[in-house]
Amino acid sequence: MHTDPWGHLTGDAAGLAGLVMIFLVAAAAVIGPAISPYSPNGFSSDIFSPPSSDHILGTDFMGQDILTRLLFGARTSLMIGLGAAIVSSTLSLAIGGTAALFGGLYDRIVMRFVDAMISMPTIIIAILVASYIRPSLPLLIALISFLSWPEGSRVIRAQVLSLKETGHVRAARTFGAGWLHILKSHIVPDLGPILVAIIIQDARRAIFMEAGLSFLGVTDPSMTSWGKMMHQALGFSYLDVWKWWLLPTGFALSITIMSLSFIGSALETALDPRLRRSKNKIVRWIQCSRSKA
Amino acid sequence: MSLLGILKDPVRGLSRYSDSIANYAIALASILTLNFVLPRIMPGDPFHAIYGDEALMNMSPEMEAEIIRRFSLDSTWSEQFVAYLSGLLRGDLGYSYFYGIQVTDVILTFLPWTILLAGLALVISTFLGVMIGIESGYRRGCAIDRMLMAGLMFLSGFPHFFVGVLFLLLFSVTLGIMPLGGSATPYAGLTGLDYILDLLHHLTLPLVTLVIVQLAPTYLLSRNTMVTTLEEPFMTTARAKGCTEAAIRYRHAGRNALLPVVTATGIHIPRMLTEIILVEIVFSYPGAGTLLNNALSARDYPLIQGILLMMTISVLTINLAIDFLYSRIDPRVRYAH
Repeated sequence: MHTDPWGHLTGDAAGLAGLVMIFLVAAAAVIGPAISPYSPNGFSSDIFSPPSSDHILGTDFMGQDILTRLLFGARTSLMIGLGAAIVSSTLSLAIGGTAALFGGLYDRIVMRFVDAMISMPTIIIAILVASYIRPSLPLLIALISFLSWPEGSRVIRAQVLSLKETGHVRAARTFGAGWLHILKSHIVPDLGPILVAIIIQDARRAIFMEAGLSFLGVTDPSMTSWGKMMHQALGFSYLDVWKWWLLPTGFALSITIMSLSFIGSALETALDPRLRRSKNKIVRWIQCSRSKA
Repeated sequence: MSLLGILKDPVRGLSRYSDSIANYAIALASILTLNFVLPRIMPGDPFHAIYGDEALMNMSPEMEAEIIRRFSLDSTWSEQFVAYLSGLLRGDLGYSYFYGIQVTDVILTFLPWTILLAGLALVISTFLGVMIGIESGYRRGCAIDRMLMAGLMFLSGFPHFFVGVLFLLLFSVTLGIMPLGGSATPYAGLTGLDYILDLLHHLTLPLVTLVIVQLAPTYLLSRNTMVTTLEEPFMTTARAKGCTEAAIRYRHAGRNALLPVVTATGIHIPRMLTEIILVEIVFSYPGAGTLLNNALSARDYPLIQGILLMMTISVLTINLAIDFLYSRIDPRVRYAH
């Protein structure tokens, strides 16, 4: 699969917008907490104060500075996304890749396990386990990764199986190349684009799952999280505070998730040429005029 | 092989589905095991973990003795597991201390609302998604197609419960034309048509939220299938035969767009579950999601376990039904992945 995902990503308007948005969120997560004068958990008596020069987004029901909590929340979200994406895609690659390469009984056992995992509603297991252990950040990354690797491993396995039979791999084998060499210089480089797509997908799902679990209140209470902030703010929707508490938090989460969806679907289009819009003007004119008839 | 085929020839019929049935059986067994093992490996007394500290404060010694006897907590793990399973088979999910009645009874009062909301959302979003997908795919590359694509892609980027929050803030909090939550106006004493209208009034916002967030994946999928199908040689044949545009659009191309939608619906059901839970909480709609939220904040563990088990069983049953359906509408597939 010799495509140019990076070129498609930056050439596609939505893909480029996604890259810019995730860069902004990452910058806010890195720089923000360092320059904020407040602590995300330091409460004060100054509750529900509207936006002012002291508190740009006001304070919440415990007198905490909302902007500071928003910036620390970005840190939590991105760390969950990054951590779960790395752990989960590594598991997918290792398990899906070896299943395709070794085949036989190992493949059958592993894939049966993967199929059973995929048919399980993962959110239920996540809620169930989280309600008992109230996971902190590292535990949450472990839990989400454990639940999300099987889907990626199916994709990787299918891809490796088809790559094994491609012309250039066969040619390399006729020249006497060992499996390790084929893996290193033919299969892994060609897996690149699909692996990036899986990583993006894993990150997006992990960020969303963390927000959802925190919204339900089953994560570590000391973790600053957008999901938890939204749940707290929703309880005070009869006051005006939602304007600077609920909305900014919701939009921050939306921008993060949306940027990853945009990047993901731009990559998907890069990987599947059939989804691209015809660049030929005549073809498009025929399509449009025919549908009007 | 249809459901009817299985009834005619059970051995041959079921063996075709043995793989997917085995997957669902493994999935169910894993959840049951987790339900059983989790409270027992938590640090401290399993009795405390099963019921939670809040519940124990309100318990008399007689109740404690009764629970220990019922869960066989004074015996070995294997005996406890047998007791747990036989309890489940009798429909005994334990006692909810928060509501003060059996877990099964609590769930049964909340479940109809979820079925109403989720069922309507699924039907409406699938129908609309396929229709818009077919029309949009047929006009691929045109202004309307590009607008629909961009609009729905944009909407699907939002976390679904935030779409609900935005609706709630706009229509209920700011404009005040929609109710703030619940499934009916409390103590209004409405009857007949007024009661039904009141129910619909409360149903509108959660339903619209769910339809909007579920529309995008169905739409994208049927549109993309439509686009690829339109390139197939049999489409040219249909044109050459002089078929009308409507016949080409729906009978030739559209029917092919249905197939992946059915598969995707099966894959999306677990995700819809998350959507329903969170959207119900946003609108305090009295279904299983809100009940789960109450149970989680009260730490009513038997109730939490009961709801999650009930949800697992429904998801697995629906998925199995979709596997059967899939092989019925696509004759090429004997085994649905």
